[in-house]
Amino acid sequence: MFYRETGQFKTSYQADMAVFPIRQDRIGLALILLAAFVVIPFFGSDFIISSVMIPFLVFSLAAIGLNILTGYTGLISLGTAAFMGVGAYACYKLTTFFPNINIIVLILVSGLFSAAVGVLFGLPSLRIKGFYLAVATLAAQFFLQWCFVRVPWLFNYNASGAIEVPQRTLFDIPITGALASPETRYFVCLGLVVVLTWFASNLLHGRIGRSWMAVRDMDIAAELMGIRLLNTKLLAFAVSSFYCGVAGAMMIFLWYGGGEAADVFSIRLSFNILFMVIIGGLGSLVGSFFGAAFLASLPTIMKFGLPAIGVPLAGATAEHVTFMLVGALIIFFLIVEPHGLARLWQIGKQKLRTWPFPY
Amino acid sequence: MRAPGTVAAGETLLAVENVSLRFGGVKAITDVSFDIRKGEIRAIIGPNGAGKTSMLNCINGFYYPQEGRITFKGETRRRMRPYVAASQGIARTFQNVALFKGMSTLDNIMAGRTLKMNRGFFWQLLRYGPAMAEEIEHRKVVEEIIDFLQIEHIRKVPVGKLPYGLQKRVELARALAMEPELLLLDEPMAGMNLEEKEDMCRFILDVNQQYGTTIALIEHDMGVVMDLSDRVVVLEYGRKIADGTPEAVKRDQRVIDAYLGVAH
Repeated sequence: MFYRETGQFKTSYQADMAVFPIRQDRIGLALILLAAFVVIPFFGSDFIISSVMIPFLVFSLAAIGLNILTGYTGLISLGTAAFMGVGAYACYKLTTFFPNINIIVLILVSGLFSAAVGVLFGLPSLRIKGFYLAVATLAAQFFLQWCFVRVPWLFNYNASGAIEVPQRTLFDIPITGALASPETRYFVCLGLVVVLTWFASNLLHGRIGRSWMAVRDMDIAAELMGIRLLNTKLLAFAVSSFYCGVAGAMMIFLWYGGGEAADVFSIRLSFNILFMVIIGGLGSLVGSFFGAAFLASLPTIMKFGLPAIGVPLAGATAEHVTFMLVGALIIFFLIVEPHGLARLWQIGKQKLRTWPFPY
Repeated sequence: MRAPGTVAAGETLLAVENVSLRFGGVKAITDVSFDIRKGEIRAIIGPNGAGKTSMLNCINGFYYPQEGRITFKGETRRRMRPYVAASQGIARTFQNVALFKGMSTLDNIMAGRTLKMNRGFFWQLLRYGPAMAEEIEHRKVVEEIIDFLQIEHIRKVPVGKLPYGLQKRVELARALAMEPELLLLDEPMAGMNLEEKEDMCRFILDVNQQYGTTIALIEHDMGVVMDLSDRVVVLEYGRKIADGTPEAVKRDQRVIDAYLGVAH
């Protein structure tokens, strides 16, 4: 009813190639951004912001990173957490060496370190595909995680082996460390995620995105059209790891505020992000957000939401029930829509466009 | 004087000399030589397993022949590389449609323009200014091809959902988007009904005449081959058994034997 493109004529290729060619989509996006930048920080409680929204943003970014690699280029990776870890440790070392450079810049630069490591572990991807590549990236996961524990230089020879996030400021407002307010951290996360999502969307809609998808769908044809497989795959590894690295740095510096990072960046996290991408929708940016929202926020919402609506559950039981429910929901969604939540979203939009007719 | 690397109409565009290709003990191609002249439609025919597709794969660098040389636009190579072949102007369609199934028709054809697009990573990040201008410029070319092949109505449809005949046409469009000098068509009419075949024949002739593209095609429908092609090369068991105009090849006793079999 409201979602109709009738009467919206495009008169230029530019208008036709816009990321959101339908006006209602643009309005929707504006409303979401308004909610994210204004409504949530001013009306959301600290708990909502720091335990729901910040994790959601961090996981979204990591899911976008993995989606670029797995969903768009067709290379399965189980090393996501390790690449996130590289970002976190790189950021820690950088801010130790260059305490005067703004931490936001350093978070982005640490993504570059992650990208370099990603390219290194992406080299075998020219020769091996599918499950074999997944195993190769698994090697990255274990090797890097081993480094995070065994190379004390990475955590500044700290006796506990933990990263201690120092206080860093922007215009004298603390944005990392114990004094940073949840709202500030949220704004930094949101800003980074919005800008990086916009970049990812641009890449994916242009020449580079098309070559990634070409390699995913039919690598032989892509090669015979002049797309160089190695370059394209390594670029996908680089960009993907960059996103994961930034997400990892954000995770430690803006969400956890320190801790034993080696435990955080474990294979469990890699799988979690892979599930987010699969449930959200392979090869869909909006799917990355859906997947992150589903897997990152659902446990929290259930854990604290169920008591709030009057279902009395005590600590440990709540956790078990949540586990079971989330697991059941994953299976349910994969059966109902194997192409992920993004496809459901698409189908819903299509139905609205043609409503009240079935086609 | 011609610029180096350009070939005038009627001259040899591609020469295959004494090419042999083996997979272990299997001889796919043995000592085959033929040429393709600029502007012609050259058919490669032969019974199943004769080495026709292997020959195309050698020409665009997907297989490396153990012996022989391939000369394209005056440059002789021991072996082609896919990237070099593509950037020098050899495009290709496949026997089993090899489209990018998850992408729309438009994106598939745009992907064919990849080599012609050169705005770097950072402009691509912004998708603004020069990068957008480039997209629009290539979109115009792509729209012309879409117009030419009459596939306007399926522009935004994911190609995986298209019927087979249209997929073949989109694949031709994708190859045309590369603005090739030499277009290799591997069974462009396989599995089509009569109407679709006639459409495809018309498109191939139009491509040849309007764009001046040289075409090498593999086809099993003899009627199509005889009507379309200027010259025909016949392979059997990886060897060349005949080469010449359709009329001459049709009368060649070895070709008749190869297709109909001989009494032993």
